[in-house]
Amino acid sequence: MSAVAELPDDVARVSLDLPLRANLSALDNIALIPLYQRHYGAADSARLAHAMLEQLGHAAIALLRDSDMTPAQRFIAKLARALILKRPRLVIDRPGAMLYDVPYPAFIRQLAAQAEMTGSWEIFDFRWNQALYQE
Amino acid sequence: MNFLAASIESLGAKVVGWFTVGYGMFAFLAQAGLLLLEPATWNRATFDVVVKQIYFTAVQILHVFLGYALVISWLFITIILSTARDFGLTEFASEMTIRVLVLELLPFLTALFVALRSGSAINTEVALMRVNNELDALAHCKVPPMQFEFLPRLIGGVVSVVTLAGLAGLLALLMGYLAIYGMNLAGFEAYTRTIAKIFDFRIMAGLIAKCALFGLAVTVIPVTAGLETPKKLFMVPVSVLRGMMRVFFAIVAIEVVSLALKYI
Repeated sequence: MSAVAELPDDVARVSLDLPLRANLSALDNIALIPLYQRHYGAADSARLAHAMLEQLGHAAIALLRDSDMTPAQRFIAKLARALILKRPRLVIDRPGAMLYDVPYPAFIRQLAAQAEMTGSWEIFDFRWNQALYQE
Repeated sequence: MNFLAASIESLGAKVVGWFTVGYGMFAFLAQAGLLLLEPATWNRATFDVVVKQIYFTAVQILHVFLGYALVISWLFITIILSTARDFGLTEFASEMTIRVLVLELLPFLTALFVALRSGSAINTEVALMRVNNELDALAHCKVPPMQFEFLPRLIGGVVSVVTLAGLAGLLALLMGYLAIYGMNLAGFEAYTRTIAKIFDFRIMAGLIAKCALFGLAVTVIPVTAGLETPKKLFMVPVSVLRGMMRVFFAIVAIEVVSLALKYI
C-alpha cells in the first residue's frame, strides 16, 4: 500500500489512517472543511454538511459521534468529509478495513450512484480482493 | 569508573531532555503568538471555539469554583482574624487578609483548580488525538490544528484563570469586609482605603500578569506534552503524568518568582 503514501496533496482520501475527530459529531466533522477552508459561517457550513449526508442517503447519522457509529456509518461520514473537500480525485484506501460489516464493493457502488459527484473515485485494495469487484 | 561515566551520561541526557522540552514549549508559544497577530486567525470559526473553551473551562464550573473559593476564603479570614486578635494586630487584619488571599493564595488555587480539571483533560485529549492520527486527518483536510484545536485552548485558559481568580478575589474582599466589620457600612471607608493602598498599578499589573502566566502554564504545557506522545496508546497515561508534573512545577515556579519579585 505504498502507493497510497505517495499520493499527491490534491487527492481526497478515505482511509482507516485518517479518522474522524472523536469529540465531534459526523456533521461537525464534515462542516469543519467549509468553515476553515472556505471561511463559511457556522450555519452555512452545517447546512452544506447536512446536504452532503442527505445526498449519500444517510442524514440520520448527522449527530452521531465516532464511537456511536457502525463501521458503515463511520465510512459514510469519512466519505462525506472527503467529498466536501472537492478535490479532483478521491481515493478509498483499503475499504475492507473500514467496511467489515457490509459487502463493501456493492455498498460503495451504491454510494457512488447516489452521490453523483464530479471527479473520479478510485479504490486501492489488496490484489487478493480483486475478485470481489468483478460481480 | 564505569559508574561515573554512566552517571554523567544519564545527567547529560536529562539536561538535554529538559532543554528539548523547554525549547519545544517556547517554540510552540512563539508560533501561537505569531498566529495571534495574523488577521486571518480571527475568523468566526476560531472565535466560536474560543467561546466554547471559555464556557467549558470557566462558566461550566463557576458555581463549584465560587463555593470552593467561599469556603477557603472564610477559613483563612477566620484564621487571620483570630491570630491578629491574639497578637493585638487587629488593625493589620484587613491588609493581611487581602495580601494573603487575594494576591497569593486564590490565584494559586485557581491555577491548580483549572490545571486539575482542564489541563489534564487537554493533555489526555491532545495525546489521544496524536495517537489516533486525528491530527494527521485534520492536516489532510487542511484544517489547521493550531487554529482549530490549540490556540482556542490557550486563549480559553488565560481568560478563564484571570477571570476566575478575579471573581474569587472579589468574593474574598467581600467576605473579608463582612468578617471584620459585619453587616454595616461603618468600616467601608477604611476598608476601601486599605484596598486602594494595596492595589497600586504595579501590584495590579503583576497580579494580572501572574494569572495570565498561570493560564498559559495550565494550557501550553499539557498541549505540548500531548504532542510529544509517541504513537502508542499505552503512552497516553505517561504523557498525562509528565504533563501534569510539569504544570505543577511551572505553577510553583511562577508563584515563587512572583513572591520573590514582590517581597525580596
